[in-house]
Amino acid sequence: MVHVYNCHPFASQQIVQVEQEPGLVCCGGGALFVVATGGCKVEAYNVEQEGCPFICRFATMGTVKSIQHSKMGDYLVTIEEKNSATYLRAYTNWRYQAEGKARVGVRLLGHLLRGASVRGGVQMEIIEIPLSERPVAVACCPVTGDLLVGCEDTLVLFALRRQNPQSVILQSASQNSSQSQAQTPSSNQNFLDFERSVILHLPKIEPKQVALWGGYVAVQMELEVLVLKLDASSESKTIESPNTKKTDHIDDPADFMVLPRHQELLGDVAKDCDIRVSIENTGLEDGKGQYTLSYVLFRRFTPDFFQGCSVEGTQLHSLQLYPLFTSNQSVPLEEPACVFCFFSLPNAGYLYSLKGGVELLSTYQYPEKVLKAVLTDHLLHVITKNAVQCFTVRCAAVAARVVDPYIDTTMKACPPCSMEVCALRMQLFIGLRSMCVYGRHVILLSAADTETPEEPERTPQRRGLELKEHTLLTGIFLAVGIDPATTPALESFLFRPFLSRKWTISSPKETSPAGHGWNLYVIDTVSPLTLYQEMVEYSERYAETNPQAQNLRHLLSEAHLFLRASLLRTEQSEQQQNIEDRQELEEALRHNCAQLGDCFSRGTQKDCHLALPYYRMSGLSVTEVMARNRPLPSSPHTYGPGFLFYLKHFLFEETEQTLSQEEADEVIDIFSQSEPSQLVSVCASPSMINLSPTKTLQILIHQEDTCGVSVLLTITMATMMLCLDDLPQYTQLMERHAEMLLVYGFIEEPRLLLHGGVGFQHTHIRATRLTCQLAKSQPGLLVAAMVALHENSKVQLEQADHIFEELGCEKCLQVDFWEAMLMASSQEAVIQELLFRLVSIYIERLTITTSATHLNEPHIPSRRRPLKSPEDLINSCSHYGALYPWLTVLNPAHTTSSQHQEALYKLQSLLCGPSLSVGFVVPLMERLSEETLWGFSLHLLCSTRRGQYDHSIEKLLDRCPQAIIAYANHQLQDKHMVLWWQKLLPELCNRTRAASDNSILLAALKETLVVVAMEMSPTDFLELIPDDGTASYFLPHLLTCSQRHLMA
Amino acid sequence: MTTKTSLLKVILLGDGGVGKSSIMNRYVTNKFDAHLFHTIGVEFLNKELEVDGNQVTLQIWDTAGQERFRSLRTPFYRGSDCCLLTFSVDDNQSFINLGNWKKEFIYYADVKEPEKFPFVVLGNKVDVTERQVSTEEAQQWCQENGNFPYYETSAKDATNVAVAFDEAVRRVLALEERTDHLIPTDTVKLHRKPRSATSCCS
Repeated sequence: MVHVYNCHPFASQQIVQVEQEPGLVCCGGGALFVVATGGCKVEAYNVEQEGCPFICRFATMGTVKSIQHSKMGDYLVTIEEKNSATYLRAYTNWRYQAEGKARVGVRLLGHLLRGASVRGGVQMEIIEIPLSERPVAVACCPVTGDLLVGCEDTLVLFALRRQNPQSVILQSASQNSSQSQAQTPSSNQNFLDFERSVILHLPKIEPKQVALWGGYVAVQMELEVLVLKLDASSESKTIESPNTKKTDHIDDPADFMVLPRHQELLGDVAKDCDIRVSIENTGLEDGKGQYTLSYVLFRRFTPDFFQGCSVEGTQLHSLQLYPLFTSNQSVPLEEPACVFCFFSLPNAGYLYSLKGGVELLSTYQYPEKVLKAVLTDHLLHVITKNAVQCFTVRCAAVAARVVDPYIDTTMKACPPCSMEVCALRMQLFIGLRSMCVYGRHVILLSAADTETPEEPERTPQRRGLELKEHTLLTGIFLAVGIDPATTPALESFLFRPFLSRKWTISSPKETSPAGHGWNLYVIDTVSPLTLYQEMVEYSERYAETNPQAQNLRHLLSEAHLFLRASLLRTEQSEQQQNIEDRQELEEALRHNCAQLGDCFSRGTQKDCHLALPYYRMSGLSVTEVMARNRPLPSSPHTYGPGFLFYLKHFLFEETEQTLSQEEADEVIDIFSQSEPSQLVSVCASPSMINLSPTKTLQILIHQEDTCGVSVLLTITMATMMLCLDDLPQYTQLMERHAEMLLVYGFIEEPRLLLHGGVGFQHTHIRATRLTCQLAKSQPGLLVAAMVALHENSKVQLEQADHIFEELGCEKCLQVDFWEAMLMASSQEAVIQELLFRLVSIYIERLTITTSATHLNEPHIPSRRRPLKSPEDLINSCSHYGALYPWLTVLNPAHTTSSQHQEALYKLQSLLCGPSLSVGFVVPLMERLSEETLWGFSLHLLCSTRRGQYDHSIEKLLDRCPQAIIAYANHQLQDKHMVLWWQKLLPELCNRTRAASDNSILLAALKETLVVVAMEMSPTDFLELIPDDGTASYFLPHLLTCSQRHLMA
Repeated sequence: MTTKTSLLKVILLGDGGVGKSSIMNRYVTNKFDAHLFHTIGVEFLNKELEVDGNQVTLQIWDTAGQERFRSLRTPFYRGSDCCLLTFSVDDNQSFINLGNWKKEFIYYADVKEPEKFPFVVLGNKVDVTERQVSTEEAQQWCQENGNFPYYETSAKDATNVAVAFDEAVRRVLALEERTDHLIPTDTVKLHRKPRSATSCCS
């Protein structure tokens, strides 16, 4: 079904004062060109001025069969006939031909002359473009001014060359000078020329129309459309010679009666169509090098005899390539964001999108036979014999998606490209023949059928004619499946006079009313904004009667695309007027988005989620949206799913926007009515911080009564109790569930503990009131919950750190958290980070407590005890190693505070553990002095871990020789065993020699000798005994050694 | 409706400096400029006129007479309905060259039946006192070459200019009158319409 709305896209009509009956019309460059019937004279009129004043008139060289204007170069190109020969000609500088009285220069393509133009005034010039085949169709590229000519077997592309007058050299017969090197047009006059750049050979295609846009080349035959793309490639590939191609196809197709079938080939697949294209590069001086060819689209129709259509009834027309540029494309030579291709059968039009995947965008089902269709920014205008019709287009929907990747997300929306098109207007005209469009001006040529005998006596039949129009239109509506009798709007439309109040006629002096049966009209379309406003008014009527009607949404969506199309266009220029227009359009778009938001928020359909992006784009605050969705007192007390979706998104996902108590309470009401299961999440939203706890508590209790107890509900209720400062009730509620269950609750709804930052890394994260309370009353639970949140990716390490910093207590909880994390985490990167932080904090604590004791001040006021003691950690966390036995010799029993001792043990334990990389912590260790024994122990641990045993042994012997044997027993094993005799033994010998009365050293020496005697052969042992040693001292050891050796 | 017009292409050929551009200017704008530039390439002017009740647009093509412009002018001979071979009566060489101009035209215009093609010969500058070509010589040449009408013209004082063009038009229309009955072609439609119109409306 085709929607038909009765909008008023046309503002006014003017009649162009043409003397002779127009045969062909075309427009461009602000002008309307009229070729009189018979076709040897062209008259130009200014369509941009009131009354379309005459600009100039000039004669053509033959009978014009086809005429086109090129925006670039401001030239006209014609196909003309004279004495049975067909010519292709370009008319340049036509604006200088004021009265058709000046001499007109004529030259061949490539023979650029210094004619009268250079001598005196600017001269109009005709460029004759010789072709080996008869031209049948032409098209100009609006951006490059290049010219595409369709002949029976070929398509020839001519590149436009512009010259500045200085570089023009008088040329004689052999033209091969460097004429196309200077391409900057330095004066206002046009020195144009064309260069044959590419020939495409398409044998036996017989084109009817061609179109050109940038590299896109479209050709339309009687029943086929083929779109190709030419790309300039710098490397010159060898392309199959067209000559061989041609000879390949000598089979006469007339020998076979092949019935072609419907075919639609999109993209590269189109190369499988049976039209063989070969390319011949002919450009001599083209810097762009060679062109390569790719297939874009092929479509073939067959006349459907079964539906009673004749072959003539199935003829394609109105081929058009249509680009759409967007804001960031200021240079028009850039590739446009989108390129569309339109073509039409008498009963249906087809619009394809060519870029980013070729696809059929819309099919236009016409109610009656269409003669001509023109695609514009906002509308598709079509003419039938009796009416102009305006259909909506979907180009803006495609472009919007190309421009903005956020469309079709929860952030932004736009009506879909596939949305059904509709007709906005059917405006009756009698005897329409042709149409062309320039900007907002639609030019129509109507001519009464001279062959009908009733023509002279038109006046008495007027009434009958009107009646005929009515029945005709009714027939049209019935044909598309609409019964006007059932639609009041249509009914009234059919009975309203066709020149409505908005239809102002500028009445020029009567153009011989009885004299001729033809008229040339210029009809101005209203501004998109005006049409938008009318559509909004229209939609309000729908909204009153049935706010959920599909029609309302459709109309608003159409209006939305209207605005989008205008915005895409205005983005291209920076003029003040445009900026104002733009602001107005943007304001309208916001308004439209709000209305679409309303539409989707109330609907029950599957698209209700679109309420969210539309409301977002509308810029409405949540308060405003809530107000718009407040149910009327009369209507049933329900909220649409779209609105709830929007509200949930607002509460759960984003914003720092807090609601007032009134609003927050309203939200609670909305959810307790519509979706009570969401209440916990709603209460946990940071936006809801101002809610009334008493009221909410009641609702939550009610919820618990109906649905039973749940951890989340309990925690939420406890939070409310906190807000009410009712600590006993709070504690009671929190004790209802085991800590583990509470932790699960927090994983399910992290926002009970954390506000902001969830899912969004960069937003500021804050602790909730509950978090602060937990830090005071249940720190273990808080730490466990945070670890659980981290392990479930609900919070990041930095965010958790931030929370603990916010909670204060001098990093106490934070260190607990890190230690707990170290126990739980399995990610290597996190572990290393935590190890580093813990080492730092332990060292910090050691230095602080040391300085405190040094200053003889009382200990830092009683801090909370850490959750884990060193023993707990050593027993439960693999990263904390058991303290090496020799450390007990070094560690003093009661010399420092308990905190100091804990820090020391934890640090030592980490150094004894398997995970800490010692190289990593050495820089931190520099802060600790070796003066104290515990400080020394840490340094010794480090150097030992780094394998510096020799150095360690010396140090230990210096500082604490009583620990040496414990150290050696623990550290000097396996491959380090040799150090017993290579380092320790000689060292001890030396030292005892210096201080022979040192009993500690002697004892150590003795122990060492026992070990060495166990490990070495007697000969080696003998070698080790110092020369000045007392034999009796060493003999027993030598004996043991020998005996052990003999036994082995 | 009597507004349909036929377009007649009349081409002026002849040596450089014989006064082709001046003849055209005199005929179309009724002005004379003694110091016109040489024509480069090809230019044309249109003139609307009514001949024997026929509305005609005369498209007068002025060409560059100098030899070096040959390649620029010859492509536009095709499609001509009438050729005005022009010489200057005070320049015998320009008269001698008439034969070459005729040959060049027939060759490049690709005329099917050269003997039937309407040529008109113009002897220009009759206002000049020192003539090198006599009227008799010229008439004789016309007689021998296909019985072409001959007019002695002066673009300077307007002698015979309009008469010569009228004759050219009449020649063309007379020829078409004959061919119309023989070969109906697409282009003929133009010329046929006004005739039927004149017969019924006026």
